[in-house]
Amino acid sequence: MTSTQTMGGTGVAEALALPEGKVRRRARERARYRDTKMAYLLLLPAVALLAVFVMWPAVYAAFLSFQDWSFYKDPQFVGIRNYTNVLTDPLFWASIGRGFLFVLMTVPIMLVLAFFFASLVVSVSRRFASVLKVSIYIPTIISGVITSIIFALIYNYSGGLLNWLLGAFGVAPVPWLGDPAWALLAIAIPAIWLGMGLTSLIMVAAMVDIPTEFYEAAAMEGANWGQKTRFVTLPQMKNILLYLLITGFVAAIQQFELPLVMTGGGPLDSTTLPNLFIFNHFRNDINVGYSIAAALLLFVVLGTVSALVFRFVNSERLVD
Amino acid sequence: MATITGDLRRTATVEKRRVHHDGLWWAFAIAKAIIGVAFIVAALFPLAWMVIAGFKTKTEVLQTPFQFFPEVWKWENYAQILGDPTFMLTMGWTLLGAVLFTVLALTVNSLAAYAFARLDFRFKRTLWVVVITTMFIPGMTILLTSFIVVTRLDMLDSLGVLVLPGAASAGMIFFIRQFYLSIPASLEEAAMLDGCGRFQIFLRLFLPLSKPPFVVMGITAFLAYWNSYVWPILTITSPERFVVQQYLATFRSERATELGLLMAGSTLAAAPVIIIFLIFQRQIIGNIKMAGLK
Repeated sequence: MTSTQTMGGTGVAEALALPEGKVRRRARERARYRDTKMAYLLLLPAVALLAVFVMWPAVYAAFLSFQDWSFYKDPQFVGIRNYTNVLTDPLFWASIGRGFLFVLMTVPIMLVLAFFFASLVVSVSRRFASVLKVSIYIPTIISGVITSIIFALIYNYSGGLLNWLLGAFGVAPVPWLGDPAWALLAIAIPAIWLGMGLTSLIMVAAMVDIPTEFYEAAAMEGANWGQKTRFVTLPQMKNILLYLLITGFVAAIQQFELPLVMTGGGPLDSTTLPNLFIFNHFRNDINVGYSIAAALLLFVVLGTVSALVFRFVNSERLVD
Repeated sequence: MATITGDLRRTATVEKRRVHHDGLWWAFAIAKAIIGVAFIVAALFPLAWMVIAGFKTKTEVLQTPFQFFPEVWKWENYAQILGDPTFMLTMGWTLLGAVLFTVLALTVNSLAAYAFARLDFRFKRTLWVVVITTMFIPGMTILLTSFIVVTRLDMLDSLGVLVLPGAASAGMIFFIRQFYLSIPASLEEAAMLDGCGRFQIFLRLFLPLSKPPFVVMGITAFLAYWNSYVWPILTITSPERFVVQQYLATFRSERATELGLLMAGSTLAAAPVIIIFLIFQRQIIGNIKMAGLK
């Protein structure tokens, strides 16, 4: 404690004793950056970990994507061959297409359901609202593995709940996870189940923020629920809907834990989403460069999208 | 002034109209209750079924016609999985890792957040941009090369490989920094006049105030570790070092017929995170409000 005081004191004395421009500037700079040593010490653990486990792997990925390399030999520069291999691989494009299909199966339904959920929450009693919020959020904290285990049993061909329910309406049983026509949809449903919580609660938070005067004014004009939704709620929530749409897109197209556990990508690749395609490739193909090039190509798109979202969200926050 | 009173009068009429519940109002109220219950059932049914199925015999779980409750409540599955040393060891191992991971993450990220929020130092902006940039690198890109890095560092099959790589997080630094920026500088100036150094200010002033962001971020870190599956299956190969999700997935493929036991194990594996969530649900849900982006 005393040492800091003395040090501060000497600094001031020096600056006063030598009032030349250069010295003064240096003193000012020293005062401005007086915390540099302490700051670097505080930052060291986090930055070191980020450097070893995030930044270096990212740089390394960029390097390896131009090499022909496997664990057993020295890397050899091959230019953009890995990229051309990925871009001319119909399997890669098929997985991207499947990713978009998966987005269409999950994101719109999630947004619509979450919107209705939020409309419901803001219109019921406080106690019922909090029960609703807690319940809808619980699936969010459940792991992909446990979700897969539960839903795979619900989808079971001979004894599963879903086929039994449909059987009651005279529908013949369907091998949900074994039929290429149904498997992706069967994975979309647990994905919605897992993702609904956060989407809904963000929607609720946004809806609560809409000033009640707007609704009162609308009620004065004799607006019904549909008109209030269309002319007050939706325009007020434009930004949040856009945000949820984009983050939902990024999350859905990156989904791969559910198909990894439930189907492993099958049957007939029908659930091989882009990241699962890359992951399986990495585990089976000794040429690592191909998988890394594919991951980087996906990154260019997704990284750009998420950076744009972040900028957009942050500028909005600054305006407030 | 006139408009304000006018508004008040209008609001009053609206309220009066609301107090009078007509048939239509009741119809809406009942419809809302039904839809609300439907949402609750959709969210909780799969989990409730999992818990109940843990009380069933292995053939009863997938029995048709479907029965929600077992014929006879069987405690054996839960007793058997709780008495299974491998399962309990896995749970303990995962819990240890999750606690270490949470503590490490909160420590390194809050120190960095404090530096970025309060200290002036050379290359601050540059470092900030570098740290924030790491937020935008999607997992898959570095998942593969991180695996190569930890292989080279000879970290495979250790607790370190699970705990260290994800501990520093730009998102967490950002979140805690936002909170620190909101702490008034006057408190700090008073402490500085008392002769406290920067680090002491962090320990004595910032740390005691950090409970709200630490609860939210601590739970996020704990959940992320507890639920992680992909990174462990790449880096952990000895069955005695499996984390709990890995154990469940392996159990499912290797002992596919023992469904009652699998459901009991899944229930016990989900229990810690559900309990933590229920304890802190107010803070977690409140945080979503805090992050409510307009």
